[in-house]
Amino acid sequence: MYPKSFEYLRAKSVDQALQYLKENEGSRVIAGGQSLVPMLKSRLYQPTVLVDINFIPELREVKLESNGDLRIGAMVTHYDVIENSIIRENAPILSSTAENIADVQIRNRGTIGGSICEADPSADYLPTLMALDARVVLKTSESTREVKVEDFIQGPFETVVEDGEMLVEVMVPSNKSNYRVEKYARRKADFAIASVAAIVSLSKDGKVTDARVATGAQQDKPHRLREIETALKGKPSKSVDLESIIGPATEELEPLDDLHGGPEYRKYVLRGMLSRILGDLLSGKEAR
Amino acid sequence: MVTVNLKINGKQYSEETEPRMLLVHFIRDVLKLKGTHIGCDTGHCGACTILWDGKPVKSCQILAVQAEGANIMTVEGLEPEEGKLSIEQESFRENFAQQCGYCTPGFLMMTRYLIRNNEEMTREEIREKLHGNYCMCTGYQQIVDAVQDAQRKYFATKK
Ligand SMILES: Cc1cc2nc3c(=O)[nH]c(=O)nc-3n(C[C@H](O)[C@H](O)[C@H](O)COP(=O)(O)OP(=O)(O)OC[C@H]3O[C@@H](n4cnc5c(N)ncnc54)[C@H](O)[C@@H]3O)c2cc1C
Ligand code: FES
Ligand code: FES
Repeated sequence: MYPKSFEYLRAKSVDQALQYLKENEGSRVIAGGQSLVPMLKSRLYQPTVLVDINFIPELREVKLESNGDLRIGAMVTHYDVIENSIIRENAPILSSTAENIADVQIRNRGTIGGSICEADPSADYLPTLMALDARVVLKTSESTREVKVEDFIQGPFETVVEDGEMLVEVMVPSNKSNYRVEKYARRKADFAIASVAAIVSLSKDGKVTDARVATGAQQDKPHRLREIETALKGKPSKSVDLESIIGPATEELEPLDDLHGGPEYRKYVLRGMLSRILGDLLSGKEAR
Repeated sequence: MVTVNLKINGKQYSEETEPRMLLVHFIRDVLKLKGTHIGCDTGHCGACTILWDGKPVKSCQILAVQAEGANIMTVEGLEPEEGKLSIEQESFRENFAQQCGYCTPGFLMMTRYLIRNNEEMTREEIREKLHGNYCMCTGYQQIVDAVQDAQRKYFATKK
């Protein structure tokens, strides 16, 4: 399959990429291309101009800010998210999440920025980034803005990115608390049928001091399950009755219906995952 | 048309290409290196796997113009010298790890990468790391055998 013809512009810096995007109506960024190239081949997308951001070294950097935020460049690959020691140490849940994505080859090429901008309801990073309260930095040739990942995703394959705008960095607050990140899929390289990212901190006397739970592959976009978080916070972990929390908190969900799984099945899988994962975290079992 | 300069199997190429040409088509149809296969053309099957700066990627998921400056190895680059099989090829042959052979180039490139970049792998680990490669014939048992065998042979050369 061949994509429709387009003009190809190779940007050498962020400024140049933003200039190209501004000057060319109908242009689109190509990052790792692991989602975009299939879309071009099937001609679901027919951009007139592609701006390649693979040749911009600054977008591949990972830094730890003095306030504890990780600054992860848009072009950091899934492979790098797994291997990078700064990320592994300060946001281990993010590295574990990247291990769940696709396969070795796709992970070598696909990027964190591209995955976020693709906004697939089943993308693995999104629940984790939402649980971490991560933000993205968006730039145009004139302005810069920071948006929470939760607000950035609008719906299936829909984000707040505007014409001429590009995601340059992901800002991830450090979080070394106990976590679980799991996806359920028929084959490991497939997109999730249900996914859960959960972070729970317990005090010395066993009280829940922090609880963050997010899910993907359920609705039109991944989201936090705040009802569960509120029900857990401040409680002695031993006395939590999970079933009485999970049932009502997932009652209203209207999961996706596609070839990977129907709504009832997705909800059934999700409830099972939540019950096991939160049970483990409340009993203080460390990950792996 | 855009000019791409890249290195494949140690040889420097400089060719004109349309931006929409996929890297796998460039390798097969422009450079006439027919060892790299196209199975699915959707990023799933791994038949088009090549090594890009030493790491496996799927060449049907990349535009040829994006390979500017890249150092690529295809299945043709495995032979240490003309007519002599590499450790990976030898192990696939000895373990009957192919039937129709269509998927084999992709598996060989993965094997080249995996045996050199991992500690001794268990069968489970090998299966896990080969998730991105499909074989419709063998049932994978012999492929896993071959990868294990290739890793043993590779480690033996390091002793
Ligand atoms: C076989 C297969 C299996 C997969 N399995 C999984 C899986 O299990 N889990 C999972 O999460 N993902 C999976 N993926 C998707 C994969 O993670 C992609 O790498 C990712 O979704 C896109 O990242 P990319 O860098 O390749 O982006 P691209 O494909 O280059 O871009 C994706 C979209 O985002 C836009 N974009 C990219 N970067 C920017 C930027 N910096 N600013 C503005 N817009 C931008 C592009 O214009 C495009 O519309 C799979 C993909 C394949 C082909
Ligand atoms: S042809 Fe590239 S993955 Fe199947
Ligand atoms: S040997 Fe036929 S597809 Fe693998």
